Amino acid sequence: MKEQTANRVFDTINFIVLLLCTLLCLAPFLHILAISLSSVKPIQAGLVSLIPIDLNFEAYSKVFMDPAMIRSLFFTILLTVIFTVMCMVLTIAMGYPLAKKKLRGRKLFMFVVVITMFFSGGIIPEYILIKNLGLLDSMWALILPGLINPFYLIILISFFNNIPESLEESAEIDGSSHFRTLISIMIPLSLPVITTLSLFYAVGRWNGFTDTLMYINSPSLYPLQLKLYQLIQNNMVSELIQMEGSQMATVVPESLKAASVIFATVPILIVYPWLQRYFVSGVMLGAVKG
Amino acid sequence: MSMGVYFRRYWQLYALLVLPLSYFLIFKYGPIYGIQIAFKDFNLFQGINGSEWIGFDAFKEVFGMRDFYITLRNTLMLNFLDLLVSFPAPLILAIMLYELKTAWFKKLSQTILYIPHFISWVIIGGIVYQVFGTQSGMINNLLTSVGLEAIPFLTDKNDWLVTYLLVGVWQSAGWGTIIYLAALTGINKELFEAAGIDGAGRLKRIWHITLPGLKPTIIVLLIINLGHMISIGFERPYVIGNLAVREYSDVLSTFVYRIGIQSGQYTLATVIGLFQAVVGLVFVLGSNYVSKKLTDESIL
Amino acid sequence: MTANTTKKRFIASKTSMLALLVVSTMVFTACSSKSETSTNGGDNGKPADGKQVTLKVEIFDRGNAPAGSTITDNYLSKFVQEKFGNNNNVKVEYVPVPRSEEVAKLNVLMASGSDVPDIVFTYDPNTFNRYAKQGGLTDLGPLLEEHGKTLKTFLGDEVLEYGKFEGTQFAIPAKRSITGKYASFIRQDWLTKLNLPVPQTTDELYTTLKAFKEKDPGQTGGQVIPLGMTIASAQYEPLLWSFIQSMTEEQQYTLTQQLGSNDYPVLLPGFKDGLQFMNKLYNEGLISKDFGLDKDKKKMSEDIQTGKVGFFSEDDINIYYKDGTYDLLEKTVEGAVLSAVDVYTNDQGKHAKPQYAPNGLYIMVPKSSKNAVEAVKYLDWMASDDNLFNLQNGIVDENYTLVDGIPVTNENPTEEAKNRLFNSGDLAIISNGKQLGSLEDNLKARVLSMPAQFHEQLAIAQEIAYADNIPLVVLDRPIEAQTKYATTLLDKFNEIIVKTTMSKPDQFESTYTAMLKDYMASGGQAILDERTAAYKEMKSK
Repeated sequence: MKEQTANRVFDTINFIVLLLCTLLCLAPFLHILAISLSSVKPIQAGLVSLIPIDLNFEAYSKVFMDPAMIRSLFFTILLTVIFTVMCMVLTIAMGYPLAKKKLRGRKLFMFVVVITMFFSGGIIPEYILIKNLGLLDSMWALILPGLINPFYLIILISFFNNIPESLEESAEIDGSSHFRTLISIMIPLSLPVITTLSLFYAVGRWNGFTDTLMYINSPSLYPLQLKLYQLIQNNMVSELIQMEGSQMATVVPESLKAASVIFATVPILIVYPWLQRYFVSGVMLGAVKG
Repeated sequence: MSMGVYFRRYWQLYALLVLPLSYFLIFKYGPIYGIQIAFKDFNLFQGINGSEWIGFDAFKEVFGMRDFYITLRNTLMLNFLDLLVSFPAPLILAIMLYELKTAWFKKLSQTILYIPHFISWVIIGGIVYQVFGTQSGMINNLLTSVGLEAIPFLTDKNDWLVTYLLVGVWQSAGWGTIIYLAALTGINKELFEAAGIDGAGRLKRIWHITLPGLKPTIIVLLIINLGHMISIGFERPYVIGNLAVREYSDVLSTFVYRIGIQSGQYTLATVIGLFQAVVGLVFVLGSNYVSKKLTDESIL
Repeated sequence: MTANTTKKRFIASKTSMLALLVVSTMVFTACSSKSETSTNGGDNGKPADGKQVTLKVEIFDRGNAPAGSTITDNYLSKFVQEKFGNNNNVKVEYVPVPRSEEVAKLNVLMASGSDVPDIVFTYDPNTFNRYAKQGGLTDLGPLLEEHGKTLKTFLGDEVLEYGKFEGTQFAIPAKRSITGKYASFIRQDWLTKLNLPVPQTTDELYTTLKAFKEKDPGQTGGQVIPLGMTIASAQYEPLLWSFIQSMTEEQQYTLTQQLGSNDYPVLLPGFKDGLQFMNKLYNEGLISKDFGLDKDKKKMSEDIQTGKVGFFSEDDINIYYKDGTYDLLEKTVEGAVLSAVDVYTNDQGKHAKPQYAPNGLYIMVPKSSKNAVEAVKYLDWMASDDNLFNLQNGIVDENYTLVDGIPVTNENPTEEAKNRLFNSGDLAIISNGKQLGSLEDNLKARVLSMPAQFHEQLAIAQEIAYADNIPLVVLDRPIEAQTKYATTLLDKFNEIIVKTTMSKPDQFESTYTAMLKDYMASGGQAILDERTAAYKEMKSK
């Protein structure tokens, strides 16, 4: 049949294009992996591409033997988990009422949110606020200022809006409170977007480090990405660093940097495949809708 | 409905809003007094209150700088090109993934496609140099070895634009699919089955069922993107850009970094930030309005 | 919905708007009033006797703390506490500042009023000038007089002069032990192979580079890069400065542009000829097509190590590190020999090249600090006895052995010994480089800290770096336009080099004119005007 051939052609092309894209995205990761497993000479000479040369695990043993690195990993996990949970709770708490068209003051509240997408006080007043709240050099300085991302909030509201109102209304007629409706109807129906936004929050926190540069002084509160940033950034040559002369040349081996990159990236990379199963719940949503 | 009845019925919704709104007031509106810096000759040691008012002097200075207009133009240009190229990319990729029949490969490729998002820009910069360099980049090595002329991907400004866009797509497309994939789970499967019975082709099905299902998400993302037309991330143009193409790669964020952070002129930096904020707000409200008229979808 | 409810809703939203405003103003005032505390101070109020003082000292955090220690708690910090803190009833606390975010974080700390470290520093003279101008620093002159005698002697008047702002000692500059900067290096084995002499002048160098390109003595298969070039100053400065012509004193003072701590030759006579030469080299394929991308010299180092580069200029010491460029070149290319040479020649036949300013870091005490006395005492302690020596060299026999009074670094120290000094350069802030009392000894010590096989060559390179140095032009007052425009102009300066070098020969002239015009309009003219005025004033005195 003509349709079937067309479909098969479509599937084949689709598969091939995606395969190519996948390989393109995998390559740099393999490159970093290869560097982390190679020895100094071939790396310095720029010979390592996708396959390690002079295979060795020295860099990894250094990373794993460094107690500061391990502590940092656990701290980052803790930080990310607390942050993500708090963010989601607040984002849902705000998203649900704001998805109700009949809520009085809704427009004003939305406006309050949207303004903050563009206007901010700048780095110095923000620092002073954190200081006055007594949050400097504590984990909360990395959590509280970023609790609700307006962009994610808007996405959540848009998804809530797509849930048929009839479902909520029938629940309300049954005498269910708004809290109950939110927990027993809205959240289960929105699991795909909630997991997605959780992932966004978690990845944002995991990868973010600019706030730690400002708010954190104790090495025990250094998240992984800050350590990573320092490892990588410190070899950057700027006009000012040249003023240091040669006195300060402490070179971090490329393989150690690469191993640290892998060490700091893999944990968060595996979160998504693990979350993917929640995406299946969309089937249920479809059924309810129909 | 009287206020009393209304409130008795809906107080729970307001109760839910208490914490989130306090968050916004404290952490977002608390520091917003910093906007004053734009109108003051800011002295680090006197603080914001102690610094002297200078009215619109700093605005005049910024609007008189040649670099301001160049970086503004580049910001708009790069963002517009991104909107044409990088905005649709994740959508297409997500639909392709959704249409994929091979289940194991679907899962695998989804996970791999979003890896570039996790590689920091500094590292990407190094890799870009190795791949696209003129003298000994991988692609040009290949070209010259078969007797072709090397292409200055990074040092000719027009070639650089292409490189900039491609790297952007590569870095963000896979990550961008996630939100569309979440939205796709919301589409009623029965619609597809019905379409199958009708014998509608794949492309037709995508056009008539998949895309309409994604419409709300696309529009929300589009409106927010439009609102950010005038702001641009620092790292991508900074890392991929270089001195040879600076007339295209220098953007508002790198400009602000230079005069604000490196030269400590917070007043000028705040002026530019304020300008971006006002324009951004106008853009987002405008596109929201248009979208509401045309598609009945809006974020406000 | 009826008109009535719409109206009510409007009123409701109006009241909530009002409430919001009230709340937010309350938040604002709360924050801003708090931020105003503790701007005063700096009256060096001495603490009551017997009460321990906490002295907060900034330290650069490079993320390289070895396992078992942190940037705030390590061998050297304990050493300081034991030798200085305990004797003076001071608790020394280190406040890490990320190296790459140095200025940004310092600004924020300063702006936050309280909680600022008592000792802060930066390499950026513009930041120092800005802080001094805004009135945020303690005048250290009298304190040095009272508590810093040893430190003053150690630094000397020339160095201290760099820490003055309009005559007041607002900073204590660190002393640089070695001010020589650059040498050039050539593949001696290539010369031998081609039977060529070591080039003595820029013209001869050009011929040699041509020969490298055509004959490819390293058999790189057409990948030869006769001249290693990057957009880092060590590569282009020796070349460009050698094109600068002899000048009158007035030209020197007015036309030089000081952006940061270095002088830039962009307006000096001959600069354009230098660019023209670079343009010729580029268009004839004698330098890498990607030199303008190589900010951190990474690519050039790779190319040197794989034996593709014939000649290059670099900091005198940089290629000699263990596992460094030269070491790896020897391992990769059999028989490769790099000789330190001095080639670029100016119109007077001299190998003119820039040097470092005699100072390093600008060490400052914020005005809000209550411990200015302790701060100066701390720095003075560092300059006294053998404290600096110990901070820089570690423990005898474990880290070094003494040969004729000069510490020779152990080639194979234990892991513990090596880790001991990971932050030495950042903690011993009063000096940049090892100080042994005389330049001769300083140079010797630096040679001896490198692998033995390079000692001889490095000594030659160091000598080259000191030959025909161009002194920095020092004006007697700060140039405000420099403080304001330096960062922007630095970028533009590098852009001029890249764009003019990479232009087609027939477009060189127009590119140069356009770029220079942009440079002048972006602050170059303002600097020129201010320097001209400053020079006139200086002369009229």
